[in-house]
Amino acid sequence: MDSTIRTHTAVTTIIKRDGRSVAFDESKIAEAVCKAFEASGAMKGYEEAERIADRVVELIETGALEGRPSVEGVQDLVEEVLIADGFARTAKAYILYRAERSRSREVNTRLMQTMRDLTFSKAADADLKRENANIDADTAMGTMLKYGSESAKQFYEMCVLAPEYSRAHQGGDIHIHDLDFYTLTTTCTQIDLLKLFEGGFSTGHGVLREPNSIASYSALACIAIQSNQNDQHGGQSVVNFDYSMAQGVRKSYARLYVRNLATALELLGDVDDATAVARHAAADVLEGTGLVPTLDPDGAYRVAERDALLATVVDGGIVGHAQAFAEKAAWRDADRETYQAMEAFIHNLNTMHSRAGAQTPFSSINYGMDTTPEARMVVRNILLATESGLGHGETPIFPIQIFRVKEGVNFNPGEPNYDLFKLACRCSAKRLFPNFSFQDAPFNLQYYKGTPETEIAYMGCRTRVIGNVYDPSREISNGRGNLSFTSINLPRLAIKARGDVDLFFELLDSMLRLTVGQLDERFEIQCRKKVYNAPFLMGQGVWIDSEQLAPDDEQREVLKQGTLSVGFIGLAETLKALTGAHHGESEASQNLGLEIIGYMRRYLDQLSEERKLNYTLLATPAEGLSGRFVRMDRECYGSIEGVTDRDYYTNSFHVPVYYPISAFDKIRIEAPYHALTNAGHISYVELDGDPTKNLDAFEAIVRYMERSGIGYGSINHPVDRDPVCGYNGIIDDVCPQCGRREDEDGGGFERIRRITGYLVGTLDRFNDAKRAEERDRVKHGVGAGDIVAEKPVAAGATV
Amino acid sequence: MSGNPSTMPCRITRPGVALASSRAVGPDGVLRVAGTANDSITDGPGIRFTIFTQGCPHDCPGCHNPQTHAVDAGTIETVDALWERVVANPLLSGITLSGGEPMLQPIPLARLARRARARGLSVWCYTGYRFERLLAGEPSAEVLDLLGDVDVLVDGPFVQRLKSLSLTWCGSSNQRLIDVPASLGSSTVTLWNA
Repeated sequence: MDSTIRTHTAVTTIIKRDGRSVAFDESKIAEAVCKAFEASGAMKGYEEAERIADRVVELIETGALEGRPSVEGVQDLVEEVLIADGFARTAKAYILYRAERSRSREVNTRLMQTMRDLTFSKAADADLKRENANIDADTAMGTMLKYGSESAKQFYEMCVLAPEYSRAHQGGDIHIHDLDFYTLTTTCTQIDLLKLFEGGFSTGHGVLREPNSIASYSALACIAIQSNQNDQHGGQSVVNFDYSMAQGVRKSYARLYVRNLATALELLGDVDDATAVARHAAADVLEGTGLVPTLDPDGAYRVAERDALLATVVDGGIVGHAQAFAEKAAWRDADRETYQAMEAFIHNLNTMHSRAGAQTPFSSINYGMDTTPEARMVVRNILLATESGLGHGETPIFPIQIFRVKEGVNFNPGEPNYDLFKLACRCSAKRLFPNFSFQDAPFNLQYYKGTPETEIAYMGCRTRVIGNVYDPSREISNGRGNLSFTSINLPRLAIKARGDVDLFFELLDSMLRLTVGQLDERFEIQCRKKVYNAPFLMGQGVWIDSEQLAPDDEQREVLKQGTLSVGFIGLAETLKALTGAHHGESEASQNLGLEIIGYMRRYLDQLSEERKLNYTLLATPAEGLSGRFVRMDRECYGSIEGVTDRDYYTNSFHVPVYYPISAFDKIRIEAPYHALTNAGHISYVELDGDPTKNLDAFEAIVRYMERSGIGYGSINHPVDRDPVCGYNGIIDDVCPQCGRREDEDGGGFERIRRITGYLVGTLDRFNDAKRAEERDRVKHGVGAGDIVAEKPVAAGATV
Repeated sequence: MSGNPSTMPCRITRPGVALASSRAVGPDGVLRVAGTANDSITDGPGIRFTIFTQGCPHDCPGCHNPQTHAVDAGTIETVDALWERVVANPLLSGITLSGGEPMLQPIPLARLARRARARGLSVWCYTGYRFERLLAGEPSAEVLDLLGDVDVLVDGPFVQRLKSLSLTWCGSSNQRLIDVPASLGSSTVTLWNA
């Protein structure tokens, strides 16, 4: 049959929405029309409805629908026929009925389709499964977590969120982060281990005593992070890693000193029961002077102990000798024990699971300021253990390490921890961690009062909590954290404003109002949670002041110590849409960029002041979001050059990764935004080449960040590893050590990259937008072999 | 980059005879470059501004940058424009003259090197010639002038069978990192000591 000729064909089957083909039943049309007549009060009955149905069938048979008829197509024809026959109101009722039916159908089918995708597609094929690079959604527990998380999201969107917030989120005006935990948890905490360990703590199945050695300190630190991760959806950071672990070293050293002294006494003086003698001497000194053996060469202890030993059976000739041996041997043993403890700490944090069993905890540690010999031993060893890597030399993904840089402490030659700063640079040049936080940046320094609590702490990914309008006497990080954050799609506002900057600010103003309203809605839900809902975070006093609450108390009062944060994404695309140039291309755009971000900050500062609640501004880490917004905006507004024509929106205030710019310009341009984003920020410099071979270059960048007022920064460089020969460095297609190609036996090369602050061991788990972003990153410092093209003339810069 | 390479009045010393007659002619304030790197970390210690000069007579098999060989390709840059970019970058430890063969354009490079040293920046230079060859016979005054403002010379051709990735700052093990001031001051080649 010639398919171009329309002929009468009897309708026998119809395609349903889910794709199934079923027998066509004309009476179903008549029934639906009849219901619409009733709804519109058209005073027509089933006969008229049948006539309409007949007319629809006739149209189908004469070829009004292309291909096999579908339910949707038939319904369109019904509407046409009703309108043609003058039943305008009935047609409207029919349309409403259809819309209502499809919404309730959607409730079921969207969820079921999601479940189907999660169950039957591989993570490699489904962006949904790669939304969070830290989850392996191909595993059983990973999929179980995604079932829970996806159903929770859809439930909240339809039944919990106020419709305006739900609409804004679904439509891509804003992004409510960690929506799956909307009614359950807060984001993150800076855990104070000194406070937690004092007197021991409980994980729910028994009490853990206060630890007594560096090995137990590090083991319990992992447990604390893991336990707290089950009560929160965001990062878990140790605020005082050096100060707290140093206590463990102190205890280990004292024990090791006495043991080594006993050994020496036994060997040198043939002392019977040397262990008891050494112990008694230590106990006597403690009782008489309050002194204990410490890594600090302490003359007073030595003298007191000498007297105590001489008072017993020990021969005076050997005491000095034995003490010297004990000091030396105890230092060596404590150092070894500390290294092993740090190695175990890193191994544990890369293997233990938390957060519904499918993820390693998002762990971070802050250190670098404690100058005691014990703390220095801790920091040196965690850096050395990080540098040597995991079992087969792999780069540890966790914890994110943050080295606190401060002049007078560790930044310049001659300062007590300068050697640790140098070591931190060396370690980061190989392993991407530690990152560097800058205590002397004015917006960090303003809080510093010379005490550990007032040092700035960052959550690994970038979050920062220190200012406090609710309780101004406690502008600290310990025990505090972010409660929730929601990001604004800035580029969309700019597109809508069509170059009208005043209109842009009006739109921004109302979007800020909406976002704050949504944060308040979520805060109210969080406040009503009881202490028993967060048995570790609140039950064990990890969160500030929670130890003063009873298990049945609401969390409300103590949560006010936290922050509610508004984030933003795509300042670069926003500026491009408003002026034709982003802030890397034009000074005028940079000025406008600072006005925009400054406006947001002022808005939140005023609100904080009015309500005595901490509203802060976050430079959003864009995972899961970088592709979502731009996809929606491209659909809506088309492909706009420099705005929606890539697969991602640029992270927060960053200069676009595809834009060639010198490292110093990037730092100079991004630094002022650090001062404005009080909820957290990070700047990266991408290096091409192996910085372990040029530590001067690495350090030069860190030093320039410090000088420029960067708050938190990090240097990215390629870290590849051949799993067969173990080579660690830059690998293109061929391993430079063994000559193996990527496609040969033994599997692909591991490629560690940073994504929203976290390291990810393989590019496979990057979502599509993040993969595109990684591909476009312009690296600084090009090898002798590769010649960089000159900076292109900025496209559209004159628009 | 400015200018059109085919019309700019810049000539390069003819390869091969460069060191015998050494007439690096053309305006002293311009040079022909293949490209630049603003934040290089692989052409000497610290962060360096690297200039890849255009034109090279050596034709070493396995060369990383064969596109720099033709003497009439690349683009023309003025010394002043390059210098502005050096000054603008506060991260620099020094500049590196690479290529291409820098010894084909000693006059403008010497100007650049002199300014760099006056500013406290170190100057590294790569060449496919051996150091001894540059000084042999009646050495070119312009090349000597340039060497007078170089701190470290990485000398010798790239030899593929001596290639190794474990070498620092050079590609094959025949190449040397020469401390130029020390070597010129004495009569022996002194290697650079980090």
